[in-house]
Amino acid sequence: MSVGKEELFKELSDAVVNMDEDETVLLSTKVIVDGYDAYEAIDKGLADGMDRAGKLFEEEEYFIPELLMCSDAMYAGLDVLKPHIKLDSEGERYRVVIGVVEGDTHDIGKNLVKIMLESAGFEVFDLGRDIPPIRFVEKAKEVNAKIIALSTLMTTTMDGMEEVINILNQHNIRDQYKVMVGGGPISQRFADKIGADGYSVNAAEAVRLARKLVGGAA
Amino acid sequence: MIKDQMTPIERMAAYNKGQQIDRLPCVPIVGNTAARVINARISELRGNGKLIAKAHVVAYKLFGYDVIRVFTDLYVQAEAMGAKIHYPYDQTAYLEVPAIDDISEIDSLEPADPYKDGNLPHHIEAMKIVAEEVGNEVTVTGPVTCPFTNASFLIGAENLVRLTLKDPDKVHKLCEISLETNLRYAKAIIDAGCTPSLTDAMSSNTVISPKQFKEFSYPYLKRLIDYIHSRGKSVTLHICGKTNKIWELMAEAGADCISIDNDANLLEAKQKVGHKVRLMGNIKPSETMLQGTVSDVKKAVFECIRQAYDSPKGYIVASGCSLPTETPFRNIHAMMDAVREIGYPPNEDVFNYMIYKGHFPSQYDSYCSDYI
Repeated sequence: MSVGKEELFKELSDAVVNMDEDETVLLSTKVIVDGYDAYEAIDKGLADGMDRAGKLFEEEEYFIPELLMCSDAMYAGLDVLKPHIKLDSEGERYRVVIGVVEGDTHDIGKNLVKIMLESAGFEVFDLGRDIPPIRFVEKAKEVNAKIIALSTLMTTTMDGMEEVINILNQHNIRDQYKVMVGGGPISQRFADKIGADGYSVNAAEAVRLARKLVGGAA
Repeated sequence: MIKDQMTPIERMAAYNKGQQIDRLPCVPIVGNTAARVINARISELRGNGKLIAKAHVVAYKLFGYDVIRVFTDLYVQAEAMGAKIHYPYDQTAYLEVPAIDDISEIDSLEPADPYKDGNLPHHIEAMKIVAEEVGNEVTVTGPVTCPFTNASFLIGAENLVRLTLKDPDKVHKLCEISLETNLRYAKAIIDAGCTPSLTDAMSSNTVISPKQFKEFSYPYLKRLIDYIHSRGKSVTLHICGKTNKIWELMAEAGADCISIDNDANLLEAKQKVGHKVRLMGNIKPSETMLQGTVSDVKKAVFECIRQAYDSPKGYIVASGCSLPTETPFRNIHAMMDAVREIGYPPNEDVFNYMIYKGHFPSQYDSYCSDYI
């Protein structure tokens, strides 16, 4: 007895929220077997689950361990569904270059933002951690990104963020990119000071900010 | 300019007894800024106990703060247990590779010997020198990275937090072995004439839940603090980030003083646990101390004192966390000067003047510094 599409997506979302990796894989496989649209399943199932997990995180029901387990489940589901995404259903996806600035190897926050952005439909190019400022600019140019997202957890490496903006200014391409910043020591005031386009306090907020920066779409 | 009338040790002793003091104790938590004071590159401190000691003695003499913490980074114990630490030329060291890749390798881990392993002997040497040189006038502490946080450096933070849900027994094992290192290191610190100072960054509710704190952090902190108490030392416990839901447990674990950062509210802490434990905090290390003006720093000090000076178990003016290396000296001086200007008991005229100048838009309901 096949459950309805909406109900299946809801179960998929629940499996992510419940941190149940096996169940997420099982349900993702069922989406394919039953012939439903993979992208829609990611959007209404996996991403919805991650979105709800993000809300629980904001409400302090969930903490980093729970959020990571949800993302593990979401990634396991993505592995199943991604190969089945129809190209024409992708539409226009905004590109984001993300990374942790040079001198810092803490990437837990960056990874969460990446996951949330991906589940929100952005195409994310992850440079990793300990990345020199120039690499962000080169990569953004190369992939024609709309957003450069910079993360650091350390006060000692914050200056690298400003350097990225300086490089954009020197090359007269500042207006081609939106720069968003985040991480433990970062504040709105710091973002304003270095001339970033936005600051977000956590991963869920980063998605809202990214949507706003590209004009509400994505 | 107002000069101190007491040494830090005289001041702290008098404050503990409720006697007259010239000003509140004040601790801008200086880390590698000490290297800047002696114009040394941070990488030069590695494995050089004499230079670490020199940096912290000279920094103390320059600023006159009330506690010296002989600190370079959080990784010295994990390094001595096999973690690979990267030492940039002139920035704070960071974790490059955890001690083990996979939890199946857990049995290869051993507690560190503070007199033999990694850079621990150099840090002990540094503490000993600092204690000999200025220990008669100021409290000298040695930083201990507590079990749960140290465990995160052994297996990697993401792995550790996953394990809290997937395989809690292994987390306990990692904490247990970290605790053994902590106990040995704490003993060596005390034998060197210093006081262990506890930091447990990963135990913050910015990372794990209060429930997980109770399960994975609290029991080990309690055992560590019990030991330090048994050696006649009082304990300051610092946890960054959100902590308001674990203040009670931090006090119950035995901490005599809890150091909270700017994600926590000093006024709320006073109301909730001020009758149980001394408070320390919470001027913003980055936004105010690193990036702020002298006037921003002074405002933040006044606001913190106004919120917490009457906390029943006492209050120490401090930065919310270690200061960024490049914190301008003028801001550290400004922090100390503000505490001197306001005196103790706090000078009402100074408060009123600040309110008159519009620095305190509201009476007793505002956060520290820039949340206003």
